[in-house]
Amino acid sequence: MKRMKWLALLAVFAMVVAACGDDDDGGTATGDFAGEAIAIFGAFETVEADAANAVISSGFNADTGAEAFYEGSGSFEEQIKIRVEGGNPPDVALYPQPGAVLEQAELGNAIALEDLGFDIDELEATFGSYLLSLGEYEGKHYGIPTNVNSKSLVWYNKPVFEAEGYETPGTLTEWTDLADQMLADGYTPFCIGTGSDAATGWPATDWMEDIMLRTAGGDVYDQWVSHEIPFNDPAVLRAGEIFESIWGADGYVLGGPDTIPDIDFRDSPDPMVADPPGCLMHRQASFIISFFPEGTTAGVDVDIFPFPDIDDGVKGSLGGGELGAIFNDTPAIRAFVEWFISADTQCSMGSQEGVQRISPNVDVGPDCYADPIIGTISGSITDALKAGGMRFDASDLMPSAVGQGSFWTGMNEWMRGEDMASVFQSIEDSWPMDG
Amino acid sequence: MTEPQGTGTTLERRPDELPEGVGARVGLGALRILAAVAVPLLAFIVLWMTFEWLRDADANRGVIVLVAVLVGVVGVFTLYWAMDFMVNRLPARFRESIRPWVFVGPALVILAIFLAYPAINTIYLSFLDARSEGFIGLENYGFVFTDSGMLRAIRNTLGWIIIVPSISVAVGLGFAVLVDKLRRGEAVAKSIIFLPMAVSFVGASIVWSFIYDFKIFGSQTGLLNGIWAGIGNEPVAWLSQEPFNNLLLMVIMVWLQTGFAMVILSAAIKSVPEEIIEAARIDGASEFQVFWRVVMPSIASTLVVVMTTMVITVLKVFDIVWVLTNGETGTEVIAERMIRWFFRNSHNGRGAAIAVVLFLAIIPVMAINVRRFKAEEQIR
Repeated sequence: MKRMKWLALLAVFAMVVAACGDDDDGGTATGDFAGEAIAIFGAFETVEADAANAVISSGFNADTGAEAFYEGSGSFEEQIKIRVEGGNPPDVALYPQPGAVLEQAELGNAIALEDLGFDIDELEATFGSYLLSLGEYEGKHYGIPTNVNSKSLVWYNKPVFEAEGYETPGTLTEWTDLADQMLADGYTPFCIGTGSDAATGWPATDWMEDIMLRTAGGDVYDQWVSHEIPFNDPAVLRAGEIFESIWGADGYVLGGPDTIPDIDFRDSPDPMVADPPGCLMHRQASFIISFFPEGTTAGVDVDIFPFPDIDDGVKGSLGGGELGAIFNDTPAIRAFVEWFISADTQCSMGSQEGVQRISPNVDVGPDCYADPIIGTISGSITDALKAGGMRFDASDLMPSAVGQGSFWTGMNEWMRGEDMASVFQSIEDSWPMDG
Repeated sequence: MTEPQGTGTTLERRPDELPEGVGARVGLGALRILAAVAVPLLAFIVLWMTFEWLRDADANRGVIVLVAVLVGVVGVFTLYWAMDFMVNRLPARFRESIRPWVFVGPALVILAIFLAYPAINTIYLSFLDARSEGFIGLENYGFVFTDSGMLRAIRNTLGWIIIVPSISVAVGLGFAVLVDKLRRGEAVAKSIIFLPMAVSFVGASIVWSFIYDFKIFGSQTGLLNGIWAGIGNEPVAWLSQEPFNNLLLMVIMVWLQTGFAMVILSAAIKSVPEEIIEAARIDGASEFQVFWRVVMPSIASTLVVVMTTMVITVLKVFDIVWVLTNGETGTEVIAERMIRWFFRNSHNGRGAAIAVVLFLAIIPVMAINVRRFKAEEQIR
């Protein structure tokens, strides 16, 4: 009883002291966000995450005293859904999928850029209007471009090409003839690997999109993405047949078609740069440079040619990127986003060793990048952005149940032996009702 | 506090002599409910007020934590003490029938809120559509029993609940018997077998994903492929070999759970009286016969406990499948399908229907367990 009395008194005392305590937020001078934590969540990890945090801490945090921190996750698509639904979203989420940003806009979780004080005309001048339009919902814009990459690239083993006198193909026919030539000379033409933990199957969707852009064209592509045509429309089925003629052809792919989903996409370029090489060509986006084995020099050991054209006169270029969605509105977060997208910040991020991220800011020049190949690619991307010729990766634009769900698993089942028509039908069936 | 007695004794009326009459019984029932709800309700009010006040306070963090802990711990303790005091104030004949409700009440309330309500809500959700907006009747259940992925999941789950407990118990029992005969090193041997239980399912899955790893080119990092390729074969993508890959996943579960089976069965075996075993030996039984005819029947009820516990654990398996194969290549199980439909595909109706089916599947197993507990309670 006595102990109880003392404990109760102690509780009361503590409460009194608490009520009289100081607050320890600092002053509210402009640009001073001392101690404020800003959580940024995204899909890129390891080298690029470290580089981002290095620039953030020596830049924004040092200038304002804030504690902004970037966290990356290999299962970003899954984790961000859980965090948002659980009521604990990050302050800024860097989505590789604009479709998911639109979902958040629809649900009312993401905050419009207009409401945050951004001038859309200024942003369109900085990023081109296509990227901003991807995050547009009911007249307002919800995604701020933070990254862009080029996907219509084919990497190849340069020394072997030069030794055997191969020429880089410009059309699909030239490409398959080249592959047959390689087979005759005893090489395996292609390395394809779509393994990626929970996201297994996504590289195959990139192939499908490249083929769609070069057969059906940009307008049908847009209809495909927005579900104005069904997923198993004849145009899409035709693209599927062309794709199957590459991965299914005898001997074209190292390991055979059914191991494609078992090979991790990060390991899949390794046979191309080995000596003797296991394969000679690998279709992949620009970021793959950071996954090449140590000592591989771009331009010497490997080089790139653009994905060949297929139908006469049908041109297109596939790209991907990130749109940042903002979930909380505070002066610190606004200041952070403004700082993050500025040309200077983007330039210093690009100049970090090992970073493959390309800035969508058209004012960031090719010489900002540590890697010269990335610099060249960035030049062509910013040109495409300014000219409006780029299309965003379709699976990142589609609703997440398809684009990060059935499209991926459908590709895996197809390569493991499932029939193409039924796979595309089941992807079509999985499209959400209101989409 | 004794009642004044005409007979001169100072005994209180026995607690089980409850007042007669409907009115009194209703009153008693109402008091019980009130007692059960009082502590959690008051605790909630006090804690909520403290939380509201603390949230707006600008004080030093350490002091806020101190206040929170003090109010939380001391406050709740005080509430229990106060309720006990109130119960003591009641007439003697009510006291002992009300008191248990005060102390069990909070647990019942929490169970009702966090267990009963979600269960009922899930059953309700299973009749609605993907966003839980429209009623669609039994469509989700139709899906559960016709979708090819779900049918594979049901087939695989049946495989899991037959194979994993049998093998775990068999291996665990074997170990228990053999380790029992060790003169020295028994504790070390048991610890080694038991160690995997300390690993989380996800941790074990990642460890085993390295063992099953497959590389098309170059040297293998996976142990299994290292051995397989080392003896001259082409490396194999083990986790994609249907339906064999299910067995590979089950191995992981067996590895995790055998220690549990072994420890419990070891205790049961040791509790078989020595005299019976001696008598059997004297009667000329071989070791084998001693084991099967004497020891096994004695530990039969423990075996049932272990088996049912393992079946319940296996019915919940999802992380092993999720991490290793992402539910592809024919390795689906019911719990993994539920998570997939709820969280990946955001389809509340189907996820709920699968959850209900899983719930119904567990009921018979729980019934066996409960029956046995009741039987043991009779023996006491």
